Amino acid sequence: MIFKTMKAALVTSALMVSAAQAQQVVEWWDFLGGGDGVRMKTLIEEFNTEHAGEIQINATTLEWGTPFYTKVQTSAAVGEGPDIMTYHLSRLPLGVSTGALSPITADDLAGVGLSGDQFATANWEAAQVDGTLYAIPFDIHAIVLYYNKDLLGAAGLLDDAGIPIGLDSVEGFTTAMETLQTNGAEYGVSFQSAGNGTNWRIFYSLLGQQGGSFIDENGDFLTDDNFDKAVNAVQTMADWVSNGYTASDVEYPASIALFTGGNAAMHINGVWEVPTFTDLHAAGDLFEWGAIELPMFFSEKATWADSHAFAIPNNAGNELTAEERAAVMQVIAWMNERSTFWATAGHLPAFNAARENEEFRTMQPNATYSVLAETAFFDPSSVLAGVASPVYDAIGNYVYPAIGGEMTAEEAVTEMRDDLDNQNY
Amino acid sequence: MTATIYTGAQVRRLRRFNTGGAIISVITLLGVIFWAFPIYWALATSFKPEQDIVRPGLDLIPNSFTIEAYAHVLLNTNIGIWYLNSLVTSGAVTVLVILMSAAAGYAISQLDFPGRRVLWWLILASFMVPIPALIVNHFVLMAEFRMLNKWSGVILPQLLAPVTVMIYKQFFDSVPRDFREAAVMDGATEWQLLFRLYLPMNWGITTALAIITFIGAWNAFLWPFLAVTSERMMNVSVGITQVTDAFGVKYARDLSSAILAGLPVALVYLIFQRRVTQAIMLTAGIKG
Amino acid sequence: MMRYRRSDITTALILLIPFLLVYGVLFVYPTFQMVGLTFTNAPLIGEGEWIGFRNYERLWGDRLFSRAVWNTGYFVLLTVIPSTLLGLLIALGVNRLNGWWQSVALAAFFLPYILPVSVVFRIWAWMLDSQFGIMQYPIAAIWGENVPIFRTLPLFMPAVAFITVWWLIGFNVLLFIAGLRNISSEIYEAAALDGATRWQQFARITWPLIWPITVLVATIQLILQLKIFDQIYLFGQGGRTDSTLGMVELIYRSAFQRNQGGYGATVALVLFVIIVVVSVLQYQLLRAKGQR
Repeated sequence: MIFKTMKAALVTSALMVSAAQAQQVVEWWDFLGGGDGVRMKTLIEEFNTEHAGEIQINATTLEWGTPFYTKVQTSAAVGEGPDIMTYHLSRLPLGVSTGALSPITADDLAGVGLSGDQFATANWEAAQVDGTLYAIPFDIHAIVLYYNKDLLGAAGLLDDAGIPIGLDSVEGFTTAMETLQTNGAEYGVSFQSAGNGTNWRIFYSLLGQQGGSFIDENGDFLTDDNFDKAVNAVQTMADWVSNGYTASDVEYPASIALFTGGNAAMHINGVWEVPTFTDLHAAGDLFEWGAIELPMFFSEKATWADSHAFAIPNNAGNELTAEERAAVMQVIAWMNERSTFWATAGHLPAFNAARENEEFRTMQPNATYSVLAETAFFDPSSVLAGVASPVYDAIGNYVYPAIGGEMTAEEAVTEMRDDLDNQNY
Repeated sequence: MTATIYTGAQVRRLRRFNTGGAIISVITLLGVIFWAFPIYWALATSFKPEQDIVRPGLDLIPNSFTIEAYAHVLLNTNIGIWYLNSLVTSGAVTVLVILMSAAAGYAISQLDFPGRRVLWWLILASFMVPIPALIVNHFVLMAEFRMLNKWSGVILPQLLAPVTVMIYKQFFDSVPRDFREAAVMDGATEWQLLFRLYLPMNWGITTALAIITFIGAWNAFLWPFLAVTSERMMNVSVGITQVTDAFGVKYARDLSSAILAGLPVALVYLIFQRRVTQAIMLTAGIKG
Repeated sequence: MMRYRRSDITTALILLIPFLLVYGVLFVYPTFQMVGLTFTNAPLIGEGEWIGFRNYERLWGDRLFSRAVWNTGYFVLLTVIPSTLLGLLIALGVNRLNGWWQSVALAAFFLPYILPVSVVFRIWAWMLDSQFGIMQYPIAAIWGENVPIFRTLPLFMPAVAFITVWWLIGFNVLLFIAGLRNISSEIYEAAALDGATRWQQFARITWPLIWPITVLVATIQLILQLKIFDQIYLFGQGGRTDSTLGMVELIYRSAFQRNQGGYGATVALVLFVIIVVVSVLQYQLLRAKGQR
């Protein structure tokens, strides 16, 4: 009888040991399509090959934007969410307020040797809400100035290294566009002037470059001189349109086509379009081009930035076990170490080491604009901000018409501030 | 057969009809061209290289013809599995909805039972409630029944199809009472009436409703999106969002993935269209 | 009051049971839940606290709400009657054709219906793109320069309405054709021989006989368009959405974007009441007219 029990105990413990060594499957959701998606798939495959038998990532890609975040929230609430997901840091406050995210503890970090000083300070702060860490940054993506080397060279606007000169300051930029148009370009610059995406990013950068902030410590919008700085930002953009340097009401793909077709000498857009231009150039379908950090129009350097980060959902009733959590953290650490490869999508790795190695230093055009990581100006921390949020809506409703000349900059900023303050409760 | 003899005046009137009729036909055909143009344009664009699309100038017919956009979607995604899921869920929804709606429509139209009016108002009411209001509830329910990420979970909430019942009721109402009375006098039961009289008289509308229901289920996005977590269970409309993205100039890519998503249904419709028109004509043939 | 026939009741029950089950669980229950939600401040998913009528008070003062009601009404005006009448006209036209031509015509009008709204959006956004859209050629010829249709406020609703009609007309056409086929051709022949003109045939024969279908189509379209969401959302995204939003979009925003399930449910309930009232009114009006 005793032998039987002992045998049973042995078998059970043997099973337990092998169970502990069994493969962990990490359920992964992301919203990465296009050039991003291709590269992420490569990374995931590489991880799975390296970790065969230990950890496997089971990845699903879902539609970007509000659908993704809705799905995360509803699934987490019934315990059907994933183990790990990509997340925009700009959406973190809203996500945390709905209880959909699980805090990342110091133990979690220590277990894989990650810490805050391995990331840019602003980036690490943006990953926290009220001092608690909810996500680990993966990349920084910002807007940059793309330019047509041929056209700028012909207009005498490039230095010996092929980098544009004289663009810093509002007057400098305007003069440059003037010159370019005299030399034959239809538009000095093109960007998505219809809608809220790029308009927000440029506006916010201009605001930051004046030392302004969108929201104050109390959560009120555009208070004191921030209001005037905002008006100034909107007015600058509206002037570009009214003076004919750029077209109004241009949709996103059309704005890119204007650049690639040679109609616009410069183009302001996110770093995520780098693969587009790289591929076109490699196929012989594009002129010599480059990308630099956004010019310093005002007194400080600042560029709008958001960050793709990894977050762990709060699966009600189905939380991660310690082993599962450890596996997830391992995935995150591994991804961050490999994020130099991710940068080929145009982004900047959030992990400092991945920005400081040789491979990244020689990666073009990233290396040229990677300096913006130090002055990255992340979206305001508010439940009203982030991708597809009321802040974005407000831009579409007020700033966009102002840029097109249908409203004065003052009216636009007033309405926007009042609208957002009203929603603040 | 007697020959019909027309008076001169009548002949003149008949001829006038033909010119008027011809004009109407021409207008109809112009309408056809106008209606079909956007789809033609989307097709043409999907076969052009991206750079050609944004070059100035108008190429009504593609200058260079490429299937690169289609190849990308077909080879780089699991579109085969998505087609299967769409087929199964849409097919199931169609069959179940038609069965349930014909039955319910018949009951409300022809039978008399307590609560008949209430039920009718309930059905109308369900048509009037906007879906976003109910969808989260459905999600919680399917989660509780452990039907998320399964065909059953995708199918069930889509069985709410009040329009189908409304249309069946209307068409059953229009069947002339003499038919019914004659059959009843011959001793027909309700079942026989339904299957031998009412349904056969309305194959046209049944076919039409089946097509419409199938299309609705095939194109459904929001519910299948919420209900499914693994890629292997996605239907085409959800899966295709993995390929369409907001990067670069991808007009051809977007349009080709859109066309691939809709192609099966369009093909099925075109193949069976003759049947549809014939079925509709059959309805008239039973008369007299 | 006659007693119900026993066999009727049994038959009815058998025919209706699956239907009742589905409706009970998936409609009645969630609707009651929704009504309950309107009195709470619940988030999108999960419980909330009781707040009485506060959601309704907020709705009353919400300028977005009045805007949404107005926009929805405007959209309905632009789509319901045109699409119903156009559907009938197209059905009449297609009905006259024969054989192969009829198939082609029917396919052309019906094919758009097969497309999901996202595809309709892509096609038309591309056709009307302010820089590269093919429709800008005729537009520029008339107006002198390209017009960003969807970004020009007064043009937005009419354009979206037009595209909606293009998209959904197939449904109406199909129903009308089925209805037209139910009218015996002998009536027309007899009338023709009696000297009736084309117009008289239409006004005295077709119109009255097809009236129940017309009412059905109009009612369905009315309720459908009162729930308008996808097209306005897609074509308007990024722009002046506060000026163009419809009521369902307000529900979507409150519930999904702002995570305010209670408020979203309130908007939904009010929309539901509006739909009931408007559609019952229309239905009664049209029915009364038909019975004259």
